[in-house]
Amino acid sequence: MEKHAPESTVSQPFVDRLIDNVEKVVVGKRREIELSLIAMLSGGHVLLEDVPGVGKTMMVRAIAKSLGAEFKRIQFTPDLLPSDVTGVSVYNQQTMDFVFRKGPIMANVVLADEINRTSPKTQAALLEALEEGSVTTDGETRELDKPFFVMATQNPIEYGGTYPLPEAQLDRFLFKFKIGYPSAQEELEVLNRVERKHPIDELKEVLSLEELLTMQKEVTKTYVDETVKTYIISLVNGTRKHHAVHLGASPRASIALMKAGQAYAYMQNRDYVIPDDIKFLAPFALRHRVLLNSDAKLSSITNDRVIRDIIDQVTVPVKKAAAKR
Amino acid sequence: MKPSVAKQPHTFAHFLVYALGFLLIWEWLRPIPIVTYTGEIHVFILFALFAFLLTFLRIPYYATVPLLFLGSLYGHHYIFGEGRFIERDGGGESVRTFFSDFSHNLGLIFSWELQALTDPFRSFLFFLLLGLVAYLMYYWIFYIKKIFFFLFITIVYITVLDTFTPLDASMAIVRIVVIGFFLVTMLHMLTVQAKEREIGRRSASYMSTAWLYTLMVMILGAASVGYAAPKFEPQWRDPVPTLERWVMGESSGSGQSVRRVGYGDNDERLGGGFIQDDNPVFYADVEQPGYWRGESKDEYTGHGWVISPDYVDAGDDISYSLYASGVSTESYTARLEMEDGVGFSNIFYPGQLTSLEVNEMANADGTPTFQIERIGGEVRIADSDTLLLDYQLDYDFPSFNTTALESASEEEDSEAIQERYLQLPDDLPDRVGDLAEDIVSDYDNRYDKALAIEQYFGSNDFVYDTDDIPVPDEGQDYVDQFLFDTQRGYCDNFSTSMVVLLRSVDIPARWVKGFTEGESVETLDGGSERYEVTNGNAHSWVEVYFPEVGWVPFEPTQGFSTNVDFSEEAPDQEETVVEEEEEDAQEEPNAPEQDEDLFPEDDEFGEAGAASGGSDGGGLFSTDEWVTPKTVIISLVVLVMVMVLYEKKHRLLSHYFLLHYKLTGKNKAFTTAYERALWLLDNEGIPRAEGETLREYANRVDHITGTTAMGRLTSTYEQVCYGGRSTGTEWTEEQKHWEELVNALKS
Repeated sequence: MEKHAPESTVSQPFVDRLIDNVEKVVVGKRREIELSLIAMLSGGHVLLEDVPGVGKTMMVRAIAKSLGAEFKRIQFTPDLLPSDVTGVSVYNQQTMDFVFRKGPIMANVVLADEINRTSPKTQAALLEALEEGSVTTDGETRELDKPFFVMATQNPIEYGGTYPLPEAQLDRFLFKFKIGYPSAQEELEVLNRVERKHPIDELKEVLSLEELLTMQKEVTKTYVDETVKTYIISLVNGTRKHHAVHLGASPRASIALMKAGQAYAYMQNRDYVIPDDIKFLAPFALRHRVLLNSDAKLSSITNDRVIRDIIDQVTVPVKKAAAKR
Repeated sequence: MKPSVAKQPHTFAHFLVYALGFLLIWEWLRPIPIVTYTGEIHVFILFALFAFLLTFLRIPYYATVPLLFLGSLYGHHYIFGEGRFIERDGGGESVRTFFSDFSHNLGLIFSWELQALTDPFRSFLFFLLLGLVAYLMYYWIFYIKKIFFFLFITIVYITVLDTFTPLDASMAIVRIVVIGFFLVTMLHMLTVQAKEREIGRRSASYMSTAWLYTLMVMILGAASVGYAAPKFEPQWRDPVPTLERWVMGESSGSGQSVRRVGYGDNDERLGGGFIQDDNPVFYADVEQPGYWRGESKDEYTGHGWVISPDYVDAGDDISYSLYASGVSTESYTARLEMEDGVGFSNIFYPGQLTSLEVNEMANADGTPTFQIERIGGEVRIADSDTLLLDYQLDYDFPSFNTTALESASEEEDSEAIQERYLQLPDDLPDRVGDLAEDIVSDYDNRYDKALAIEQYFGSNDFVYDTDDIPVPDEGQDYVDQFLFDTQRGYCDNFSTSMVVLLRSVDIPARWVKGFTEGESVETLDGGSERYEVTNGNAHSWVEVYFPEVGWVPFEPTQGFSTNVDFSEEAPDQEETVVEEEEEDAQEEPNAPEQDEDLFPEDDEFGEAGAASGGSDGGGLFSTDEWVTPKTVIISLVVLVMVMVLYEKKHRLLSHYFLLHYKLTGKNKAFTTAYERALWLLDNEGIPRAEGETLREYANRVDHITGTTAMGRLTSTYEQVCYGGRSTGTEWTEEQKHWEELVNALKS
């Protein structure tokens, strides 16, 4: 798209290779794969709100396998304890010492399934890990491996015996999106692929974890102009002023949007962020960060609709801001 | 884009607009019977309607052409044929004659004998033209979607006809403006809606009833206010005489039509109105301005003035004596330069002529011989074909002492003077003499009597006017008619009447003609001024004979004044101061312009100047200097240029900006150029939506314009605006895209 040579070294070919590799397993979900990668590259996490069986696990596994990363899956149930997530210290009689046994969170890529089924206590343990990149057990704080990427899922149809995540906690996720059902043709393709043998078993590593870490560093170098920052702030500010919104997005939303923008620009082999990046990402980054007021809920206005409104109304800055770099 | 437009269904709104277009064409046809010899215009109007219908219904051309041909055949039969159209010896005969006529005229066309074309063939050509116009109208309205130019042309057409032909277009112009307003607004609405359709905001063209009513109220309201509102009289003078003079190459000096103001030879039949004409006749550099004397006449016939000329060869001494030696005079010189295309064989001089020097002549055969007409004082070249173009003369300008004038006695008139200058026609009505006696009854000397008669015209309901002045009937006296019947007229009426009144009370007087001093246009070095003398300055006045003084000029015409000075006490004479009445204007003898405000309420006066005329009269004018044919033409040219510039503004702007950006720095220039492009797009009706990013916008613009220019420009601009860097690419590269974009916008 851009003619000038990128300053970065890895970038595009690797990203493409990664996506292509994941697509061998997941059919017709390129946008969702991209969003996951953006979250991964900018050190964020993803919340999927979807019905079971649409390929969430398969996608995460494929990503993990393509990276040669350690993959863990935690099925959240009402009786799951925080230590089941973080790990626990057990007494080793031979060494006469407590030995820490890693919980499933201690991996590079983690699928946290149906997090709204577990108790708030356990949820808190997970969310701490998401935010801080570390877990605390037995009064000891342990750093998690890098890279660290969590894909959490919520089941939207069952409400009985669930503990919906508080809105404030949702803020910890960079994106929230759905995977959705495949089209008939895509579904046929899925059937064809798994007819003999599941393709996930043959998936090869295309990118090392070290390379991913390098890319994460490079992403932060992507230039965000004052103009674009202004646009981000205008959008986030828009959520706070909208008449249907009870609680708008926090400054953390602005940061998230900017970081995601950097990653998205980087993925497109561009070393600066343009408003189009932000505009594309905004619905995924903002939809779970606004709390509608009761009027809006009663008149069945959705979060997506509000975000769409705001995006349409906020003027895209097209003239260079007066401030220097 | 064209085919998509053509395939859209025609709505009622389209029909309305097209019908308005037909009404405009109708306005073109209406004046034709008046200005040409065309008859049966309703046939042509019906044919035009037929053609419009066929075009609007989009009948395929293989049906339209035969149908139109059939229509024109029927029209041909209706106008020229006999019997019923469907019968053999009716329509059949017409068709036969039509075809033989057609081949005959075709031959005429190829031999370029257009004058000989027959009427039926001309009618056929007219039918053809109407068919084409119907299509053209359709094209303008539904493809180009612009009608203003046609409307403008229609207005020009009607105004030109109104100005130059007997056609009275005062209602036509109202109709055209109303039709035009409707047409332009509705067409604009259709265009806007078509654009909305393009971006998917509307499915079909539709005129809401409320909108139509509002439109009607506004346009009809505006039109009726415009119609009912008071209007100024024309502020500019009629350009027709000037244009006609240019077109016909007519000399304005002499021999022009009877109804134009100017200086002529024949004064036998005075009367009638005239058209004002402000074309310059000559320019004069003078130190002391005065009336330009051409000649005087002595014999009043009851209808006008004649003279039995008595020419003598002047030899070296070209002078004509008007004043006795006792009159105090100052000597001055004047130089006259005739306007191009104007020339007289006689000279014009202020005051008393003493010598003459000719600088330039036309049609001269060797050295010209000058003749002086001893009675009237005309100085001319013997060969009347020779015209004087540039000459210089010395003259004595008088200053009369009123005491001397008052003391002059009537008994001292010589026999010759009495015989010649007291002449009156035998059939002059007695009431003229009675009136004269009445006016002068209170005065005992010649000067006061003359003043009384002069001032008689300043009051007593006399009106200065140049329009609709009647020519007296055969048995009617010119002076009698003016004094007792009409009391309305111009200089000839006033001056002739004054001479006749004076002669009735035995005061010798004569009728003088020439020009007034003109209008000062420039102050020259050495105290002299340049005067412009026009046809409108042609004038006539009165000279009264005083023994021992000579011929003293008097000015009976309202609003005029000779520049001659009447002093109560001559500087070199010991005369007592005598009370006397003076004309207002005499207080400012050197004023070059006439006192317009003497008659401020009289429009006619202000417009025509205090002109006078007939075939030979003349007068002053006082219209503003800046309204000359030249300035009118320049204004028109400027107007046309402004219109062209407006039409071409995008191209010009793009050229301007390209040049401008070349000269300034690269980086900044590109940014401003891009922002300018955004501005242009916005003005062209493709504005960027609030939440639209540049890239989305560029895609949309490129989709509309069918180019990729905006996208390319945008990706470069993004690097500058969001990428925080200067343009790496050459500005020349972007220049092409920029031009491409702007040019695409035009189409």
